[in-house]
Amino acid sequence: MTFPTGRRARLILTAIAATAAIAAITVTAVTVSAGTVRAAASAPPGGSAGQTLRQLRPTAAPAGWRHLTLPNGTAVLSYPPGLRPLAGDRDAVSAARLSPGGAFQLYLNATPQQGGERLAHWAVFRLHLLRSDDAASARLVAAAQGIKFRGGTGSCVMDRYVTRIGGHHFQEIACLVQGHTAASVVVAAAPAAHWATAQPLLLRAVAAYLVR
Amino acid sequence: MSLKLTTSAASLALLAVLAAGCGTAAATHHAAPNPAAPAHHHAGQMHAANPIPQGNAGDQDADNNGGPSDGDGNI
Repeated sequence: MTFPTGRRARLILTAIAATAAIAAITVTAVTVSAGTVRAAASAPPGGSAGQTLRQLRPTAAPAGWRHLTLPNGTAVLSYPPGLRPLAGDRDAVSAARLSPGGAFQLYLNATPQQGGERLAHWAVFRLHLLRSDDAASARLVAAAQGIKFRGGTGSCVMDRYVTRIGGHHFQEIACLVQGHTAASVVVAAAPAAHWATAQPLLLRAVAAYLVR
Repeated sequence: MSLKLTTSAASLALLAVLAAGCGTAAATHHAAPNPAAPAHHHAGQMHAANPIPQGNAGDQDADNNGGPSDGDGNI
């Protein structure tokens, strides 16, 4: 086979090489730039929600609130008037306020530590559990560690998820709290659409959570 | 010889373009949000990755019926 060896052929090939090199540099630059933007956008969120978690302070429940003690005696969940105890797991306690139609408006739960929950990776654990259990999707809003509780220290996560059944959108604060003798989880949730109004009461309940 | 060198340069440059293109695809894949799962499911529907069946077929928790998730460790 014979190849062209004239000056014109060399010029054409050189031009192709130069164009391709410029294109490669441009594509790479755009990719790096876009990746930087995406990385910034997907950085762990915090902001005011993170500040809300970090500002949690252990505070006794107001007068008039009722209390549910875990069957193993290691924690006490306090709940405000308007909520009522709810049946659930035998080793856990729950209280909720339901709408006349039976929809959850406010939800509180306390459960003993059961599996691989650890303070250091609580947020990851909780989101993974939600996605693998009863949520079609779940996303982190904020997370914080080293939060003081009545009788212990905890890690908290605020997240939003959509239930597999019914497609209900909930927002929650879930904290793994280590006491002197045992660890447990306290959950405070409300429909995501009503989170702004529900949050103060739910935060109060979380702040009142007592561990032993 | 000159032709060979020029041809090799062109080939390398084209490979660079292809590699950059693949890199873009990979970065996009990582950055893309998870596809939204269907919002509505029928009661009783089970999911392979879900050790507690939904739709009141599990431990009777509210979270197996579309309610808020409790604090259990899924065991």
